[in-house]
Amino acid sequence: MFDLDRVISLLRQGRHITEETVYALCLLSQELLMNESNVTHVNTPVTICGDIHGQLHDLLTLFEKSGGIEKSRYIFLGDFVDRGFYSLESFLLLLCYKLRYPDRITLIRGNHETRQITKVYGFYDEIMRKYGNSNVWRYCCEVFDYLSLGAIINQSVFCVHGGLSPDVMTIDEIRSVDRKQEVPHEGAMCDLLWSDPDDVDTWSLSPRGAGFLFGGQQVQEFLSRNGVDLIARAHQLVMEGYKEMFDNGLVTVWSAPNYCYRCGNVAAVLRIDDDLSRSYTIFEAVQPQNDVGNTILPTRKPQMDYFL
Amino acid sequence: MSGRRYNTKGINVLEVNSAREAHARTVHARLPVNQQPQQQREFAREQIPVPSRRVFPRPATATPRHVCNNPNNPPCARCGTTIIPSPRATLPLEDCPSVTIDNWTISTRKRPILNSQEFEDWENNRLKGLALPEMIFGNNYVRIENTRDNWSLEFNALDALKHVKLEDSGIRVAYSQKWINSKQEKHKRQMPGGANFDIEESSLKIAHQYDWTYTTKYRGTEEGTLRLQRDDEASLPIDKLARPDNILFFDDMILFEDELADNGISMLNVKIRVMDERLLILSRFFLRVDDVLIRVIDTRVCIEFQENKVLREFKEYEGAYKDVILRHRSSHSHDPKAALRDSNWVVQNTPLVSRQCESLAF
Repeated sequence: MFDLDRVISLLRQGRHITEETVYALCLLSQELLMNESNVTHVNTPVTICGDIHGQLHDLLTLFEKSGGIEKSRYIFLGDFVDRGFYSLESFLLLLCYKLRYPDRITLIRGNHETRQITKVYGFYDEIMRKYGNSNVWRYCCEVFDYLSLGAIINQSVFCVHGGLSPDVMTIDEIRSVDRKQEVPHEGAMCDLLWSDPDDVDTWSLSPRGAGFLFGGQQVQEFLSRNGVDLIARAHQLVMEGYKEMFDNGLVTVWSAPNYCYRCGNVAAVLRIDDDLSRSYTIFEAVQPQNDVGNTILPTRKPQMDYFL
Repeated sequence: MSGRRYNTKGINVLEVNSAREAHARTVHARLPVNQQPQQQREFAREQIPVPSRRVFPRPATATPRHVCNNPNNPPCARCGTTIIPSPRATLPLEDCPSVTIDNWTISTRKRPILNSQEFEDWENNRLKGLALPEMIFGNNYVRIENTRDNWSLEFNALDALKHVKLEDSGIRVAYSQKWINSKQEKHKRQMPGGANFDIEESSLKIAHQYDWTYTTKYRGTEEGTLRLQRDDEASLPIDKLARPDNILFFDDMILFEDELADNGISMLNVKIRVMDERLLILSRFFLRVDDVLIRVIDTRVCIEFQENKVLREFKEYEGAYKDVILRHRSSHSHDPKAALRDSNWVVQNTPLVSRQCESLAF
C-alpha cells in the first residue's frame, strides 16, 4: 500500500509517480467514484472550479487562494487534462485529494475526460513522453468513465461541465443515464458535456453539424422545472475568469489562467455560501520562476528560425 | 510571480525583480540563439542588465543601415546600438519592437486575447453576424511601412476575420449525421406522447449560418496610392531567402485560434524575419477538422529593401483528412496524429489547389 500523503507531496512538486502507484490510485478512485450518483449532492459552503487543463502550478494557486482542501469543500467541473504540460499530475492530485478527503471534493466529468479527445489534445502524448508506454493513460481513462455528470448544491445550484440537453429536462432524468462508458457522440451525456449557451430563442443546432446551443428560455425553464436558481458550468474560455448570463441564471467559470500559456486571461472560482450568496475569487497565472520549480513552463519566447 | 505575493503589503522587491526577469526573457528572445545563454547568465547574476558590459560582435558592414526604434528592446546584436532596457514591472506585458532599414519600418505588437468588453464590441459592432473564435489576439499586429512612398501592409485579426464568410461552409464534423439522426429518432419516438423531448423540428436545422471553420483568404491590409498588382510569373527569391543571413528582427504570433469545440483546430499565425537586405513574412491559416479535412492558406510577403520591391505570394492547400494521414510514413513514429499538428509536414503532404502572385516596385 502506498503513502497517500507522500504521493500528494510528490505530485505538488510535479515529480514522477511510478506506474504501479498510478494503477493503485486509479483502482481505489474507481471504487470510490462507482458509489457516487450521476448527480452528487453537495452542501454549502463550497467552491466551484472550472477547467484546469493540466496547469498544475495554477491549480496549486487555486487551492492556495481559495482556502485549501484542508478547510474548504470543492467541486471541479471537469477538463482536468489536455493542453497543459501537467495533465497527469493535476488529475492525480485531484484523485489523491478525493481519496484523502472524500467528502470535500467532487469531480465532474468534462468533455476532455475521454479516450478519443485525450488522444488528440495532449494527455496521451504526455503519458507517452513520461512513461514510454500508454498504460497510465489507460488507467486514467478507466477512472474517467466513473466520474459524475453533475452536482447539486443545497438543491439550488446545478453544476455541469457543458450545459443542458433537451433529452434530459429534469435532474432526475440525468440520474437515470448510464454514465459508465466512453462519452458517446450523441444523446444526453454528450449534450451535458458539450453544449453551449448562446443568444438563441430555442434549442439550435451548431453550424458544425452536431451539438446544441441553448438560450435564456431553455435556462429559465430548466431552473423553474427543477426548482434551482443557478446553473454553474465551465467549458468555455472567459478572459475575466467568469461570466454570468441570462439574468444571472447561468454562470461560466474558467479556472485556467493564461490558458495554453499564451492567452493572458485571468481565472476564477465561485464560492457559494450558506446563504447561497456568490463570491468570485480571481487569480493570475504563475510566472515561470526558479524557486517554484516550474522553469519548464513555456515562456512567450518566439523560437527564431529560418522559415520559408 | 508566486502566489505568495498576494499575502504581502507594499511593494515587494522580489516581485519587481521577477517582473523584470519576465520582461527580459521576452525581449532577449529576439536575440540570435548564439547570444542568448551568455546574456541570460549575466542577467541572472546581476538582476538588472548593465548594457555597457556586454560584448557585441562587430557589425558585418561598416555602417549599419537599420535603426532600432523601441527603447524597451534589447541592444541590437548586429550594430551594438545600446539601448537601456527599462522593464516595466507590470503584467501582462505589452511588447512592441520596431526596426527601421532605409525607408522601411517594421513593427510588431503582442498583447493578450481580447477581454470581454472588446470581445462584445467586435461581436456586436465590428463583426456582426459572426460567432467569434474563442481566442482572438485582437491587439496583435505585424506592420511594414514604406515611409518614403506612403505604403503599408499590416496583418491583424480584425481584418482577417472580416474575410470569414457569413454563410454555410458546407463542412460538418465527422459524426454530424449520426448525431442528427439520433435526435430525429428520439424526436419521432416521443411525438405521440409529446411529453419529454422538448425540441422542435427547426432545432435540427442550423439557425445561425457562418463559416465555423473561420477560413480566411486574408492577405494583409494594404494601404497607399500604389498597390500590389497581379503578377503570377513572379516568384519568391527562395535561394536568397534560404541563405542563413543574420536575422535582425524576428517575431511569431497568433492572430486568432479556435479549437472548433475539440473537433480540430483553426488558427491564423504570422511570422516575420528581417535580414539586412530583405524581409519575409509568412501568414498561415491552418485548419484541421478531425476525420474530415485539412486546409492551409499561406501568404508570403518578401521585400527587397535595396530595390524597394514587394512580392506577395498566396497559396491554398486542401485535402481530405484520410488522404493526408495516409501519406504519413515513419516521420512521426508512434503517433500519426502528431504529424497532423505539424503545419510544415501538413503543407508538404497536402495538394496545392491554387497559387497567385502579386508584385509592386517603388
